[in-house]
Formats: sequence, C-alpha cells, structure tokens
Amino acid sequence: MTTVLVADDSETILLLLRTRLELAGYEVQTAADGQEVTERVVPGSSDGPDLLLLDAMMPRKSGIEALRELRAAGLETPALIVSAHQDPRDADAPTDLEISGYVTKPIDFDQLLDAVAELTAKAA
Amino acid sequence: MPSTDAESSSRPVASSPITAQAYSRRGRRLGPSLANRLRIGFAIAFAVLTAAAVIGVGHFIAQRQDYENSIERSYQAEMAARVEFAEGNRAGAARRTIAREEANRAELRNSISEDTRNTAILVGGGLLAGLIGALLLFAGLIASMRRPLEALVDAAGRLAAGDRSTRVEVGGPSETATLGKAFNEMATELELEASERDQLDRMKDEFVLTASHELRSPLTSVQGFAELLMLDRDSLTQRQVETVEIILDNCRHLVRLLNDLLDLARSDAGRLTIRPRPTRLTPLLEDVVRTMRAQTDKSEQTLTENIEPDLPLVEVEPDRIRQILLNLLTNAHEYSPERASIQLTARVADTGVEIDVIDNGPGIPPAQMEHIFERFVRGDAGMTQRVGGTGLGLAISKSLVELHGGTIAVDSEVGRGSTFRVTLPVAPPGAVEAPQAGPRAIAEGPR
Repeated sequence: MTTVLVADDSETILLLLRTRLELAGYEVQTAADGQEVTERVVPGSSDGPDLLLLDAMMPRKSGIEALRELRAAGLETPALIVSAHQDPRDADAPTDLEISGYVTKPIDFDQLLDAVAELTAKAA
Repeated sequence: MPSTDAESSSRPVASSPITAQAYSRRGRRLGPSLANRLRIGFAIAFAVLTAAAVIGVGHFIAQRQDYENSIERSYQAEMAARVEFAEGNRAGAARRTIAREEANRAELRNSISEDTRNTAILVGGGLLAGLIGALLLFAGLIASMRRPLEALVDAAGRLAAGDRSTRVEVGGPSETATLGKAFNEMATELELEASERDQLDRMKDEFVLTASHELRSPLTSVQGFAELLMLDRDSLTQRQVETVEIILDNCRHLVRLLNDLLDLARSDAGRLTIRPRPTRLTPLLEDVVRTMRAQTDKSEQTLTENIEPDLPLVEVEPDRIRQILLNLLTNAHEYSPERASIQLTARVADTGVEIDVIDNGPGIPPAQMEHIFERFVRGDAGMTQRVGGTGLGLAISKSLVELHGGTIAVDSEVGRGSTFRVTLPVAPPGAVEAPQAGPRAIAEGPR
C-alpha cells in the first residue's frame, strides 16, 4: 500500500489531509512537526513513506528544515511542501531540496490528489 | 503617533519656538557675522586711506616749510654778502657767496619739485592700494557668502528631489552658517518623519501579509471539511447540500478577498513583482474560457472566443494574465443578466496584442467609468447585492497590466454593454516560448 507521511502542526488540517488521503486509498502517517518527521523517516530504508507532505512552517522544526536534514542524509523520497503563502515563490523557496511542488492554502484537493497519485506512481 | 518618550529620545531637537532662539545663540559663536565683517572692512579701509592722506599731506607741508626756511636763509645770506660787497669789504668773497646762494636756491627749487612729485606718487599709491584692498575685501566677503549659499541652493534642490539624507557643510559668515544649520535640522526632521512614515507603511503591509497568511489555515479547514461533507452528498438532504454550498461559496469569496488584499499590499509595498517570459496566448486564453464556462453555463450565458490565428508571443507572466482575464470575465459574468453573451477576442495591433472582454450587460454609467479602476469601487448598490466581488479586482488588474508595460481601458454604454481592453507587449523578435522555472505550484486555490 502506498504510504504518505503528512506533517502539520494544526490537528485540524492534519485530520483533513488524513481523511482525504485515506478516502483516496492511501495509508497515512502523521507528524506534528519537523522533529517527528526526522525521527520517523530513515533515509535508505525500504519501508519508509512513498511521499512526504510537509507544512512549510511548524514549531520546533519546519518542514523545510526537516527536508533539508533528510536530503543531506540521502533521502530521495519525493516531497510536497504545504504553505499558507498565496504564491509559492514567496516562501523564500529553497531551490536545492528537490521539492516536487508547493501546495498553497486553501488546498485544492482535486489538484493535490492528482499530484500525489502522479508522484507515488513514479515511486511504485 | 509614538509615545512622547520615544519622540523625545528619537528627536533631540523639537520643533518649538525655543529652537529659533537656539539657532541665533549658537550662531553668534560661529564667527563674525557678515555685518560685522563689513563694519571691520570699512573701518580698516577708512583707516588705511585716512592714514595715507594724513601722512602724505603732513609730509608735503613739512617739506614746503623746510624749503621756505632754506630759501629765506639763502636770501638772508645773499643780502648780507651784497651789503658787504657794496661796502667794498672782501669783495671777492662776497661775490662768491652771492653766486653760491643763487646756485643753492636753484638746487632747492629743483629738489622741492621732485619731493612734491614723490609725495604725490606716495599718497596716490597709498590711496590706490587702499582702494584695491577694499575691493579685494568685498570680493572675498561676497565669495564667502556665495559658496555656502550655492551649497544651500544645491542641497535644497536635492532635498526637494527626495534625497532626505542631504546635508550642507555649515560655514561662511554666521548668517549662512545659521541658515545651513537650520537647513540641516529641517532635513533631519524630514528624514525622521519619512522614516516613521515608511515604518508605518511597512507595519501596515506586514500586518496585511501576516493576517492574510494566518487566515488561510482556518479557511483551509472550513473549506476542506465542507468539501468533505459534499463527498457524501448522497446521504445529505437537499437542504443540507444547499447549506454546504453556501459555506463553500463564501469560502471562495473569502479566498478571493484575501488574495486581492495581499496583491494590493504587495503593490503598495512595491513588492508586487512579475516574471514575464515569452508566452503563447492562445492556449492560455482557451484555458481561461474553459475555466469560466462552468460559471457562465450556470447562468445560461453564451461565452465565445474569437482569437486571431498566429498571434505573436507576448512578454508576460502567464499566471498573472490568467488572473487579469478571469477577473474581467468574472465581472462580465456577474454583472450581466442570465442568457447574456460574453465574448473574449484577441488580435494584433500596433501597440501589442489587444485582448477584449465584451459583454452585452447593463453597461457602466459615465459617472462610474472615471473611477472604475479605483479600489473598492463597485457597481451601483442594487447590483452589488447580487454580485460577490471585492471591489479590488480592477484596481489589481490595472496594477498588474501596467507592471507588464501594457494598458487597460474600458468602453461602455448603458443598456448596450461594456468592453474592457487589455493591451500586452509583444515579445522581442526571435524570442522562444520559455517554460516556467522552479517547482510547480499545486492547488493555487480559486482566484
């Protein structure tokens, strides 16, 4: 089964993302911040998530910081960054992290689910 | 306004009447004033000229006195010799004395005329030197005024042109020095005021950006969970479906308002930037029409496109052009009655590529046309009850079109309909269509 790791510091948004992804047939793991993401994901292991869906701004460790650490440790899993910014180019977008795309709030779930399907199809 | 504490610490010089006195008090320590320099100059010139005249005339009188005394002594000696000669005493010696005194007087006469000439030259030279000195003094004084005044005029020009960091070097006579100090204080005040105003502007922009940012997460939840409900619409009653649809409609309206406010704040802060690249218009226009069709179909309006074939590439940011056209088409759709017809046309013109959004709706009264591109200007009250716009769309569209170096204009007749025309710059010849750089944006959210 395709697994998506979702990280957001808002429980409501986490519940929303989890419900929509589970309804679409994905297995969903959740994390409350970037710290939990880096603890949970082991680069190079075969049973890790197939896609990361990380909020750009979280306490303790942001999604960007977590992804930076994981990429430095050799993680190749595709990642989407969720940002409250209207324009993803505003989110002082890092260019070196192999980010597959930016999801802006409010989330258009049709487009998000299309992107998730496309990215996890490649992984599978 | 900041608290008085902050004001007194950030503004060492307050704009009070005391300041004016402070200037003049400080002015006195700055060196002699122009008036004093003039007085001193006059006194020196007067003294030099008077001294030259007095010394010269005195010298002349003394010489004359000497001469007359010598002549008199000479005549007396000659007379004595002539008496002796007449009496026949030592006639030879007496004749020699007479001859010597005559020669002596001739020499004195020569000498006095030479002395007189010398004295005249001396006095004349002294007067001339005094005059030249006085002239140099005045030239110097004028120059000492002129340099600081020219500097002040220059600085005032720069300040007026907006360079608030302009200061002048304080110098010259106390008048210009005081003026210079006053100018510098004024420039400092202006600079402080401008920086306070800039800071307020920044705070306002920051506030709008943060607010719009913070509102997005709860809005995501409201919209997301409402959509979740709609996924189960079969198990909802008709009434519940309508209720959720109202929630979703209002979510979309809020998102539009947030996006518009954000764009305006960015525009005000000079941070509304575009990244134009050579773009093919036809697919973009077709996509915009496709997006709009869902809404126009609901109102049974006809939406047609008339795009000239082989349009040249335009130099634009596609997402922004999409935003502008969706805005114009949404206006046409919302302000026109059911079964109205809306048309999107594009053609090449001398000034670029012209895109028209034409509707046969109610039209815009002339009084409103003047203000149509201003913020929060919307159709008349009866109309806006029905129409869900923010009153910001056209203002933003105008900013965006102008950022692209294009123009936007409106033509309308009440009862006949309106035409909004956007003219976009053509890409330079030889340009090729460029793909978007960087990661793609997913789920931009409805505009």
